[in-house]
Amino acid sequence: MKLRILIADDHEVVRRGLCALLQAHEGWEICAEAKDGREAIEKAGQLKPDIVILDVGMPNLNGLAATRQLTQHDPHCKVIVLTITDSDQVIREALDAGARGFVLKSDAARDLVSAVEALQRNRMFFTPRVNDMVLAGFLDKGHNGSDSEPPRLPKLTAREREVIQLLAEGKSSKEVACVLNLSTKTAETHRSNIMRKLGFHSIRDLVVYAVKNNIIQVQVPTQLQTPGSAA
Amino acid sequence: MTVRILVVDDHPVVRHGLRTLLGGNPNWEIVDEAADGIEAVAKAANLKPDVVVLDITMPNMSGLEACRLIRKKAPASEILIVTQHDSPHMMREAMQAGARGYVVKSNASRDLLAAVEAVSRHLPFTALNVQSAESV
Repeated sequence: MKLRILIADDHEVVRRGLCALLQAHEGWEICAEAKDGREAIEKAGQLKPDIVILDVGMPNLNGLAATRQLTQHDPHCKVIVLTITDSDQVIREALDAGARGFVLKSDAARDLVSAVEALQRNRMFFTPRVNDMVLAGFLDKGHNGSDSEPPRLPKLTAREREVIQLLAEGKSSKEVACVLNLSTKTAETHRSNIMRKLGFHSIRDLVVYAVKNNIIQVQVPTQLQTPGSAA
Repeated sequence: MTVRILVVDDHPVVRHGLRTLLGGNPNWEIVDEAADGIEAVAKAANLKPDVVVLDITMPNMSGLEACRLIRKKAPASEILIVTQHDSPHMMREAMQAGARGYVVKSNASRDLLAAVEAVSRHLPFTALNVQSAESV
């Protein structure tokens, strides 16, 4: 029986590349594609793929939030997170969300097949660069006897994280309600709760929070980018 | 006649995707790939492709700088920018640098083939998303 894979990335050119890469492997098939986290969850619910590959930076619902929802719904769901950044925070969030694989987009052509093979054998896979970082963090923790985690952020529900992403993408409470199939009043309540929990007074604060915490990703003008920092 | 294309992007998976999309036309041939601006300039000068499909944000040398140099070293090659930057400002800079076409990556499946077709005939092709285009 073929291994069925669902791919989610907002750029079709990347999906085409991922498909070409994975379909070349005998015994694997792409059972569905999705262009954001919400569509990925919907299709995963219908098609029950063996492995889900999720880009982190997607509109409407990002890959980390989608991972969290998929693994909460089915703890055996095997998710590989695909990202352009190997920041500590994104790695920690991906692991916390229940991802079993972590591959940098820049290394995908080399590592993605290995990652899928690892998950197929019920193992985890981290891009070597990330593996080193995880190990270094573990050793550092052992030497210092203290955890190097950043201060804990206020506890937000999965729904609140979804609302933050949509608000930070510029949607109104009414539009948020429409996307999440809620009443406008409920969406506004979520918004108020989020602002209170985070101690924010403006949407601007919320956008900054969403960017800093990788809930949304923004395009940085070329002149400000460091080499290799973006696709 | 076969249109010879050089594909330039720092992410191999994107190059795979571009190859797949461009492979749909039997009259087009991918002559080579490059992973940054420096490699792109060298390969364009050597291979003299008809079209260079060029990303902007790349290590070592950006696509804009590469675009300017390719114009000098392979003046017959047309340059099509394929980028994540859905921005009128960036599009203007690219065209000023000598690009003949500009396509946003998120729209590549919709625009890429038409854009390569146009620039290979030395015709301009630019397409942003509606919202961005309105602010041009």
